[in-house]
Amino acid sequence: MVKFGIEFVPREPYWRIIYYTVQAERGGFSNLWVTDHFNNRNVYVTLSTAAVYTNKITFGSGVTNPYMVNPVFTAQAIATLNELAAGRVVLGIGAGDKTTLESVGMEMQKPLTAVQEAVEIFRKITSGENVVYKGEVFKTAGAKFLFKPKGKIPVYVGAQGPKMLELAGKIGDGVLINACHPKDVEYAVNCVKEGVSAAGKKFNEVDVAAYTSFSVHEDIKKANKAAVPVVSFIVAGSPPQLLERHGIEVKKAEEIKEALKANDWGRAFGGVTPEMISAFSVCGTPDMCIERIAELLKSGISQFVVGSPIGANVREAINLISEKIIPHFQKA
Amino acid sequence: MTSFKAARCPNIVSPKSGEITVDYRKLVEFIPVAKREMLSDKLVDFILTSKNDEKMPSQLANTILHHWQQDVLESESGLTALLEAALLLEPEKTLGAFTELEMAHIAEQIKASAPS
Repeated sequence: MVKFGIEFVPREPYWRIIYYTVQAERGGFSNLWVTDHFNNRNVYVTLSTAAVYTNKITFGSGVTNPYMVNPVFTAQAIATLNELAAGRVVLGIGAGDKTTLESVGMEMQKPLTAVQEAVEIFRKITSGENVVYKGEVFKTAGAKFLFKPKGKIPVYVGAQGPKMLELAGKIGDGVLINACHPKDVEYAVNCVKEGVSAAGKKFNEVDVAAYTSFSVHEDIKKANKAAVPVVSFIVAGSPPQLLERHGIEVKKAEEIKEALKANDWGRAFGGVTPEMISAFSVCGTPDMCIERIAELLKSGISQFVVGSPIGANVREAINLISEKIIPHFQKA
Repeated sequence: MTSFKAARCPNIVSPKSGEITVDYRKLVEFIPVAKREMLSDKLVDFILTSKNDEKMPSQLANTILHHWQQDVLESESGLTALLEAALLLEPEKTLGAFTELEMAHIAEQIKASAPS
């Protein structure tokens, strides 16, 4: 049965995220993902607070990267969280966002290698090893925790491009696919499958999640209106081949990008078309969202993550998902 | 507790630390039990959708989260915390909710005690 996850961005104050998290846990969500960007509030402080106020939801970074924080420190944070909420913690890690990394003077050096090495170091040190590691990106000369980490912590690899998706399938206990449209998710799942089989694993041993931009409301216009700002940023950051796959003119995406750069929200949001919303979000009434999720499930995903904006009113949206969407898939 | 002028509002004020403060707990006692759930629902919505995040004291936020975790936001102590937070973040909407739920007299009492 498909699991439902929910993503929060700690640009919001902790108390709002924790309120929604408790609500989501009660409403049948099984996973909480909190984004990790230096310019928002801290992911691990947010997750620690979530750990205190919840008792069954599984949670993790969604996703951190190996550049901004050394993997041993990420491992330390996650291992400590796993003491606070034993067995409910996962690591979500990906290559990070190039623009954000550059804004603090960091280069996204060898992203595939960096993620692979970071995951190796994470697994070794959280299993209590004294880690001597000579990688291309990371080196440790005897790194060991002075406390005993509790149990094996699952690693989810966030991925978008084909090579990273394949790597994610190969090394991840889970994969977070950054896509919303059935065409994109199907393509991504096939890449993941290649990695999974290369590693000699079975596909159903890996929790494959579609990490979506989601917006639900009983009124389609309100659902769309909430989705538009997020979709505008996704369109502006999408490579031409992805836009073309969805029949979106690159020129229109460039116009949105320019408007966003100029903080001209009216022009940027006004440039978002229904085709863009359909390509880059799961958006609509509960029935429409059910239909789209059902399509996505055909590709073989095992977790569906509702990400920003979730809805025009997040509390109402979580209620709609809990009362109408999750039960539909539990019955099926 | 937030300071309010007291003179015109004897029912919901109490002296504390040399100043007069609204006693939110006492205020909640005036709210009919039948209307508490509806009021708490509205107050939660005001707080969660407010743009005035910075006005929320962390201690008060933690009290609200504690009550939410126990699923007792409609209790007297839960509603007391919600009311205090809602009046800090969204005073106009909060007063409007009292009027909407036919408790205009309580809204009037709060207004009367507010700083001029």
